[in-house]
Amino acid sequence: MKVTLKHKLLLSLILACSYPAFADNHEHHHQQQTAVATPSTDSVFNITDNWTAANGNTFQLSAFGGKPTVIAMVYTSCQYVCPLTVQNIKRIERSLSAAQAANANFALFSLDPERDTPAKLAEFATLHNITNPSWTLAQGNAGSIRKLAVTLGVKYKKVDSGDYEHDATIFILDKDGVVKYQADAMSKNMNGASDALKALLK
Amino acid sequence: MSSNKLKLISLLALPAALIYGAAVSAEEMVMIPQGSFTPFFLKKDSVSSNAASKVKVAAFWIDAAPVNNREFQAFVSHHPDWHPTNIKKIFSDAHYLDHWKSAQGADGTADLDTANPDAPVVNVSWFAAAAYCEAQDKRLPSTDEWEYTLNDNDRDKENLQKQIIRWYSVPNRAPLSVKGQPANGFGVFDLAGLIWEWTADFNSYMAPPDSRNSGDKTQFCGSGSLSASNLDDYAAFMRYSYRESLKGSFTGKNLGFRCAKDAK
Repeated sequence: MKVTLKHKLLLSLILACSYPAFADNHEHHHQQQTAVATPSTDSVFNITDNWTAANGNTFQLSAFGGKPTVIAMVYTSCQYVCPLTVQNIKRIERSLSAAQAANANFALFSLDPERDTPAKLAEFATLHNITNPSWTLAQGNAGSIRKLAVTLGVKYKKVDSGDYEHDATIFILDKDGVVKYQADAMSKNMNGASDALKALLK
Repeated sequence: MSSNKLKLISLLALPAALIYGAAVSAEEMVMIPQGSFTPFFLKKDSVSSNAASKVKVAAFWIDAAPVNNREFQAFVSHHPDWHPTNIKKIFSDAHYLDHWKSAQGADGTADLDTANPDAPVVNVSWFAAAAYCEAQDKRLPSTDEWEYTLNDNDRDKENLQKQIIRWYSVPNRAPLSVKGQPANGFGVFDLAGLIWEWTADFNSYMAPPDSRNSGDKTQFCGSGSLSASNLDDYAAFMRYSYRESLKGSFTGKNLGFRCAKDAK
């Protein structure tokens, strides 16, 4: 951990000292993002890859249109982080009234295209007592998974054991598929995420 | 005398064989044979764990040179979704293909007027690069594949590192045409000296395989970490750090790409 921190610090130092080659376009992002007001081009629904749900149905991300959606990328063989992520999404769900919960989508996208077949995802849903039809568990292929992860900003890497090192983040999308809120999936406090979702449900 | 002659011939013939002996397909891809290399972040101070710290790479094809402006323009004209006036904001920042915008571009057109057609295309996001490769029935190379290609089986390692560091220390400028410098031992051009390149999994962790045994629960299928134990390969450290700093929608004046393909 110490080593990690030290290098992260070193890294930010290097970046901050702005080696000429690093002085790239993305310094100006902030201003531009506020200046342009075309929300639909911001939407993850622009990704048109196909996914397979635990019930075998094929769908695209735009299927979540019309309702806000809570999304996380997990894999079912994951022992620690992913179950915690699911528990935290369920905490967000429980913070809603029944009517509100019916007006939101909850979606888990697997990082593990080989092992997480629809059947395996259905098994995982049962194990975690996920019965509400507003939940979707999805299998993609390596390309669609990478594209969604890059879009959301989820870093991950498959390691030799077949497991995945990955960011644990819960994302909240509005009904148009624009990311509105991100929560650390390891946090004990989901109040911010709940409030963000409730605001989108108003 | 004759033995001297022989020596001379083999001296001449060896590099040529390394460069021209590589398989090159019609679309100017180079076959990179399977092998392994040690990325800088897996280098250990102890020599004992050498074998474990190698990354294996299966054989693959890679473009001999970065994709240039001419090639990318042909793609854009066939795929209007990726024209600067149409590109979705989620797929690129506002600087997409900035170097194509001509001085009189009030009508919103973007073309090659101001760009060298033979220079690598830059100011392209990861999404645009990935879409280009897909359209050619190719894909972006993985970080491991790209680094393995640069590593060049450690051929001429010291010179390569010096060359890279020298390049890193020069301020940004418009990249020169591709293939201006000799190819490396695999027959691949311009891995260093012109541009930085996107990889398919630039958003990976630099995770050593044993990080999950470190006892830190949050690293277990959570966050990996950079645990380089020495920084002798400073140039590589810079590359991995740069990739780590990117997001898929970012563009850069010196950030381009090349495509790859499975060896099948």
